[in-house]
Amino acid sequence: MNNAAGADLRAEMLQGAQSLAVASPPTGARGITSDLSIDEALLLHAAGWEPVDLVCGVAVVSVPVGVWNWGQGAISVASDAHNAAVSGAAAQLQAECAKVHGHGVAGVRVQVEVRTHHIDVELVGTAVRPVSGHEGGRPPFVSDLSARDFTLLMGAGWMPVGLAFGASFVYAPRRTAGVAMKQKTQNVELTNYTEAMYSARSSAMERMQRSALDAGGHGVVEVKVTEGPMSFARHAVGFTAWGTAVRLVAESHQYIRPELILPLDDAVITFEAQSLRGK
Amino acid sequence: MADATPDLPEAALRRLGSSGFSSGLSVPDFAACLDLGLQPVSLVQGYCVMRWGWYGAGSGFMRGVSPWVGGQQGAGSYSETYRCPHGFVSNEHRMWGQNIEQKWVEDAWAQGYGTAYARMLEEATSQGAHGVIGVLDRVSHLADTGTTEFHFLGTAVLVEGGPPPAGGVPWSTYLAGQRLTKSIEAGYMPVSVVAALASVRVWAYCMTEYLMEGARTWGGPTGPHEVEQVGKAHMAVRQLARKHVRQQLLGDALHGARIEVEKRELSQGDEVIDCTLRGNRMRRFKEFDDVPVPRPTVSLR
Repeated sequence: MNNAAGADLRAEMLQGAQSLAVASPPTGARGITSDLSIDEALLLHAAGWEPVDLVCGVAVVSVPVGVWNWGQGAISVASDAHNAAVSGAAAQLQAECAKVHGHGVAGVRVQVEVRTHHIDVELVGTAVRPVSGHEGGRPPFVSDLSARDFTLLMGAGWMPVGLAFGASFVYAPRRTAGVAMKQKTQNVELTNYTEAMYSARSSAMERMQRSALDAGGHGVVEVKVTEGPMSFARHAVGFTAWGTAVRLVAESHQYIRPELILPLDDAVITFEAQSLRGK
Repeated sequence: MADATPDLPEAALRRLGSSGFSSGLSVPDFAACLDLGLQPVSLVQGYCVMRWGWYGAGSGFMRGVSPWVGGQQGAGSYSETYRCPHGFVSNEHRMWGQNIEQKWVEDAWAQGYGTAYARMLEEATSQGAHGVIGVLDRVSHLADTGTTEFHFLGTAVLVEGGPPPAGGVPWSTYLAGQRLTKSIEAGYMPVSVVAALASVRVWAYCMTEYLMEGARTWGGPTGPHEVEQVGKAHMAVRQLARKHVRQQLLGDALHGARIEVEKRELSQGDEVIDCTLRGNRMRRFKEFDDVPVPRPTVSLR
């Protein structure tokens, strides 16, 4: 840092300290709340956006008894419960965002807990709006993209439109006694499990894509998936996929043309005490 | 919050009275602190240990018996009552349910947190510090003895050539180092760390109990159904935490908020939900300079 920049910084610090040296008159203004880091807030500001309020949405949906008992095919009641919980929580998040005149919610943290008799979904994020203050024509978007990704996406001419979600739970069909006996001493593919996983995957992915299209998106970015047997019902496999549905708002995709840089730092040389002992 | 005439333990006074300084800052944070014209004075701390229970004076200990028995809800606090749609069924049947804000838990938390914070500021004030940076706070249950410890730690600093803060109460922030520098450059001056706990108790009524254990009831839904009482309690506890924090902001902004939720399930649908929200109260002292749109880069290795 050169001296001039150092002096500027000190002058700003003094200015800040002076602002606290006088007792501020009580104000009726509604302070903003945000869980963004200072870097994220600055990035958003550079892109012409600002945080408004910390918002949340929670939904708990029951799963009736007997749903996980061994059966055949898709466990549609569980998938319906899952979808109801996600859309319920997202609707609450949107309502909280609309109340404070936000245009959308960025950096949403998604927490889903699938229990035997209920599915809990919690969404927390920061409602944001353009600094210019113009009214958004669309319902508020919900996006789990970080402020960095949100800024980059907008720079490329795209906008998030909503959270795309899909879930599917499927029974792994019981093997017949003959098949089970035959496979007992062999290392072979358990086609019942493979097929159940395939079936769960394809319906969950399809549901996610459908929800993106319904929200007016052209596609989904940052898709995350969870998969595997349910901890409380090993004969049932679950697959969930979610991401942010995005839509091209510019005429065409804007190339961001990143600049190539060559860092001149030395590679970090690690020292391992273990290596001295010839291990 | 801090007393003008500090009443500090002798050892603390001896340490604070020595000519050397101490700080909890890392070396990069220390360098950034000097760049800003902040002079570290001392590592300051504050503790408070509280007896901790969910049932005590003012609590709704008897609330399970009837919606009207037990601790009185203060005006403006959250509560919702749910009534059984079945009529009388049996003595075990949960005829009513309630979501209530546990004000006595929230007040005890605020007391413990506020006292530990005030004690840290008292140490800073005794040094004539202007602010406390890099604050760390920890709230932990000590062993299993019904005690909760509130612990604060931070580095007291002096603004070189700067005026003392209004009322002599030092400002404070969780930030230090480059994050603090960036905030100041962006025109945000830290005012104080703020935090609040909100606590909601869910007394499940029959429908909540059935839904949470997956039972189908007569007259009840057969497919998946939203558990309204529990969902609302979860929303309420987060909104209450935000409301409590907003009351401390007095029009300033909350940055870098951190929200944590702890849930204790007592039986089907019966639960206690605690939500802690903390962050930096910041005041705008100049308009945002126009921030240039950062250029994306790709590094060659």
